[in-house]
Amino acid sequence: MPSFFKSKKRKARKRNNQHSQPPEFCQVIHPSLADQLDYIRNKTGSSTDIVIRKASFDEKLGIRTAIVYVEGISDKKTINDFLIESIIKNRELHEKHPKRDPFDILLDEVVALGDVAVHHQWDSIFQSLMAGDTVILIDGFSKALSASTRGGEQRSIEEPGSQVTVRGPRDGFTESIGTNIALIRRRIQNPDLWNEMMKIGTVTKTDVAIVYIKGIAKDEIVDEIRSRLKRIEIDSILESGYIEQLTEEHVLTTFPTYYHTERPDMVAGNLLEGRVAIIVNGTPFVLIAPALFIQFFQSVEDYYGRADIATALRFLRILIFFISIIAPASYIAGTTFHQEMIPTRLLIAIAAQRETVPFPAFVEALIMEVAFEILREAGVRMPRAVGSAISIVGALVIGQAAVQAGIVSPAMVIVVAITAIANFATPSFTVAISARLIRFAFMLAAATFGFYGIILGLVMLTVHLTSLRSFGVPYLAPIAPVIPSNIGDTLVRMPMWAQKKRPKLVASDRNETRVGDNQKPKPDESRGMKRTSEKNGGQT
Amino acid sequence: MKWIHRCLIPAACSLLLSGCWSQKELNDLAIISAMGIDLKEGGGYTATLQIINPANVAGGLQGGGAGTNAPPVSIYTAEGDNIVATNRQATQKLPRIRYYAHTNLLVVSEELARKEGIELILDAIERDAEFRMTSVLVIAQGTTAGELVKVLTPVDKIPANKVIKNLRFAEQQRGEHVTMNVQDIIKDLTAEGKEPVIAGFIIEGDPKEGVALENTHQTEPPARIGLGSLGLFREGKLVDWAEGSAARGTVWILDKLKGTNISIDWEDKQDAVVYEVIRQNTKVTAKLKQGKPAINIQVQAEGNIGETRVQLQLDDPKVLLKLEKAFEKEIEAELITAVEQAQKAKSDVFGFGESIHRSYPEEWKKLKAEWHDAQFPELKVDVTVEAFIRRTGLRNNPHKRN
Amino acid sequence: MEKAKISAYQLFVMIVLFELGSAVLVPIASGAKQDAWIAILVGMAGGFLLFGAHYRLYRYYPEITPIQYMQKLLGKFFGKLLAFSYIVLFMYFAARVLRDFGEMLLTFAYVETPLFIVNAMLIMVVVYAVIKGIEVLARTGELFFLLLYLLAVIGFILIVSSGLIELTQLMPVLEEGWGRVLKVVATETISVPFGEAVVFSMILPYLDNKDSGLGAGMFGLFVAGINLSIVMAINISVQGVEILTRSQFPLLTTVQSIQMAEFLERLDVFFMVSVIIGIFFKVSLYFYAAVSGTAILFNIKEPSRLVYPLGLVVLFMSITIASSYSEHIKEGLGLMAKTLQPFFLVLVPVFLLGIAYLKNRKKQA
Repeated sequence: MPSFFKSKKRKARKRNNQHSQPPEFCQVIHPSLADQLDYIRNKTGSSTDIVIRKASFDEKLGIRTAIVYVEGISDKKTINDFLIESIIKNRELHEKHPKRDPFDILLDEVVALGDVAVHHQWDSIFQSLMAGDTVILIDGFSKALSASTRGGEQRSIEEPGSQVTVRGPRDGFTESIGTNIALIRRRIQNPDLWNEMMKIGTVTKTDVAIVYIKGIAKDEIVDEIRSRLKRIEIDSILESGYIEQLTEEHVLTTFPTYYHTERPDMVAGNLLEGRVAIIVNGTPFVLIAPALFIQFFQSVEDYYGRADIATALRFLRILIFFISIIAPASYIAGTTFHQEMIPTRLLIAIAAQRETVPFPAFVEALIMEVAFEILREAGVRMPRAVGSAISIVGALVIGQAAVQAGIVSPAMVIVVAITAIANFATPSFTVAISARLIRFAFMLAAATFGFYGIILGLVMLTVHLTSLRSFGVPYLAPIAPVIPSNIGDTLVRMPMWAQKKRPKLVASDRNETRVGDNQKPKPDESRGMKRTSEKNGGQT
Repeated sequence: MKWIHRCLIPAACSLLLSGCWSQKELNDLAIISAMGIDLKEGGGYTATLQIINPANVAGGLQGGGAGTNAPPVSIYTAEGDNIVATNRQATQKLPRIRYYAHTNLLVVSEELARKEGIELILDAIERDAEFRMTSVLVIAQGTTAGELVKVLTPVDKIPANKVIKNLRFAEQQRGEHVTMNVQDIIKDLTAEGKEPVIAGFIIEGDPKEGVALENTHQTEPPARIGLGSLGLFREGKLVDWAEGSAARGTVWILDKLKGTNISIDWEDKQDAVVYEVIRQNTKVTAKLKQGKPAINIQVQAEGNIGETRVQLQLDDPKVLLKLEKAFEKEIEAELITAVEQAQKAKSDVFGFGESIHRSYPEEWKKLKAEWHDAQFPELKVDVTVEAFIRRTGLRNNPHKRN
Repeated sequence: MEKAKISAYQLFVMIVLFELGSAVLVPIASGAKQDAWIAILVGMAGGFLLFGAHYRLYRYYPEITPIQYMQKLLGKFFGKLLAFSYIVLFMYFAARVLRDFGEMLLTFAYVETPLFIVNAMLIMVVVYAVIKGIEVLARTGELFFLLLYLLAVIGFILIVSSGLIELTQLMPVLEEGWGRVLKVVATETISVPFGEAVVFSMILPYLDNKDSGLGAGMFGLFVAGINLSIVMAINISVQGVEILTRSQFPLLTTVQSIQMAEFLERLDVFFMVSVIIGIFFKVSLYFYAAVSGTAILFNIKEPSRLVYPLGLVVLFMSITIASSYSEHIKEGLGLMAKTLQPFFLVLVPVFLLGIAYLKNRKKQA
């Protein structure tokens, strides 16, 4: 029975789809210029940002043209210099060759711009018009010409705010998809860097590009991403997060299966590992898929700095992740279940602090953690000028007054502070924020079963993480399952000359090798003990 | 199948929320630092619980003011027929949950150790999940356990800590005592052919003065806890106290000596040269001589010269060799004193029986039955000592004296 | 059978975790006194032979599970009967391991908590993992394997450096000859933990590389056996035989003896982490075998439907199999050790291998 209903619904939706596009929209363009302009005015509700400039092309024959563009998203200087001026200057061209089609003359000789297209239908005209192109209509022709004049005010390339590094390039993505693709192309100057553009969003018609390196990216993954993007039916895509939510494999998880970044060098690095980038117009955040858990603990700087230091930092980050998940839970478990495991002197110190605290440890921890979350949320949304006020209130009221009043214990404040700092230090915001949420679940588990609860929670978390996949790649690869050739770029970061292979499950197996043989740098051969002693041996 | 998932999550949550069975808030715990056990008149036990008042021990914000006016520990006593009953009886007066996981010290009175033995009281401690096998056990020598536990101590605010640290550092530097925890003692009690030695603690001065906070407010407290002798046990009962060189000899044979000082007579002057042992290694081996068991003890000691009270050419290696010989004799004498005292007490605290068991399991079966009464007291023990003087300190020869 | 593939390394990891599972927790081979570690090593040798038998059977029928080849070897009725009894056995074993664990937690840390709750929490996690399938279980194993060995190495360093080990406690070696050791091997160690590897005959068909199964399995048993033997030797040399034979949880006693720098002591939680990991794996694998076996035997298309009801069965079984911990252990050493284990873990696999050998020889001829 249920299947019957389903099929009916599907049919109904199909019919709706057909209705959704009004028949007049597909209508063929009327040859009269006046009608055409009327139609445009009608369709756009005579919006003030639609500019229509009329000009005559051949005064003798009275061929009139109209130039239509949208103010603000198109480059006014280009329109003036290469379209309007050019048309006015070349008025006599048609007079010289009256036999030629004026449309062709316009197309071939007058429009001095690179990207020119001919449209026969209204919807494609409007699409290019809304994207910032300029449309040229000529009286008597039921087709139109469009020239690419996209531009207008845009944010310039700035240093990305969300992923700051000490060493590394300073440019970041902007809201413009063209600029973003260019930033990647500038780093990977190779014809194999392919991108595919599509429009998603029935209303917004947002440009979405899939970018990958042909031959390095796995074809199956590219196909999968393409088909998932094609499947999207939604009115709008305002940020890459929309795409992320619509194409994830797992819904019931707090962990991200897409990586997102503002840094072109990071995208370039990931493309070279065989991953695929999804760029959405209107946001500087580029999605990268497939994303693995370990990636969220890596920073671009790891690759720019020394390998040993990067390795140490990565261990630190994993430690940080665990601290931000289980520090308050451990405090609860330690003080309410497992007092025996706290060293005697520490226990006495904590007990002395807790003598006056009127709440059970769990409630105390919950109050402090929630208070801190409120502070943080306030700090994020506040205008910068008020920000310092919050830190004063937070430090004084919660840190000082609450402790002195004996409502919370200093030990708890320390725990909350460590947790908070640990959370800030997690390199990926998405993982940090999911750790924030999971932390409360662990606190609950600790309050009911102590460390047993925490450990069971960790086992469950591990099972959950191993069960996740990002575009078919196990989330915890290359640690579980172990892939020996890729282990060099996980928790440890081996030197560049020792990381010979691309990630096996991500990259295409036709092009695995990254680094040539014998790349390990060596000291100058003329130095060192060995050589000298040999020489001496030869002399005597 | 979806409905099961949907039911499971609320079920799990309710399970979590209804939990809290084994939960104990820190404010509800009476952290017991030491437990003293005495025999009650007319059977049963008296337990004295030393409970920490955290606010009076810890410094910092909350404890600051109160620390000086109130004692760091409180004492609760209880009586009962067995250890569990005695301890549960303490709840009649205690407003908190007794918490034994930090009970690092267990004091048994000499009377209890002599009359009933320590075997019976250890069962409850071994069985209990909270109580630690690493708790140190000592005997209240010449006093009751209750008195010893009650005495307040300066420097280390918690008396139990003072006792344990006292014992540990004396063991390291003087070598007349051994720190024995419950597990070690049970191991020794149950082993075939080995008996435990347990350190004794005494109260110097008037125990009555020790309970008041004033005791800690004086440079020389009227009541003071100090180390006593080393108790020798047989079949779980205290039979004798070993003191001075006999005690040190015992520790030496047990290979637990970490450092000590030995003084010898030199050229008619008593205790003229002092040897500081910094390292030693003792091996006990069992042998069969014409079917009779014999024990061979080999000692290797290393150390420095700590003090001289006569003129000596210490920069001369030959003199050092002579000194070494003298120290060897001194150490040998101590070891023999220790063995003789143990043999007189018929208490094989050295584990000679165990070494025979390990080396000659077949012979041991025959010896086992009459080991303590007949075999051990008659056992032939050979001692060989090698002492090495490595350094003589910052000076070689002593300064000239007239 | 679900559509899944596991690698040889994953098989190895699962065998190690499975074998260590409850064996590090409860006193095994304590009947052999100070020679318990020898009894474990000899038992391991027996375990090799048994695993070899499972592997031979797997090579005869590489595509199907024992549930199916039992029917081929013994005929429909007897095959199904035997397969069914194996499923019940797996569930019983899962329940026993769960009970071991629950008893441990209740004895040393959660005295006031009902056994049902403690077991229910663990079985919930097990159910969650089994629903995700064997691949997830295997990958989780790879992670936990690393964690477990990290803990083991730290624990070992702590025990050695706090000077607890007295190797003389291991003497005299073979005090009463081989008799006592071999008796313990025959009744205990060959079947538990080594014979328990029978559960892996249900998992062998998932191997992606058939030839690697034998090596991975043997190596897994070897590593587990050596580790168990070392753990037992440490237990004996720290506690002495006398305390060891009376300890309900010998490793716990050893861990509790650690005292380092006045800070690293009372490391019970350390012990709890490693035990939970091991137990989780053992219960999960038994439970997985029971669930997938039931699904195959009764032709159930969606095995995940079985997980919840069977999980409840295991949970209730774990509560009801014994009224006290002593009864539970006695059951294990009595009825189990004398009848069920030798029969199902030793005799039946050998018998099946014999029939398979005869049948296949005929076929070839």
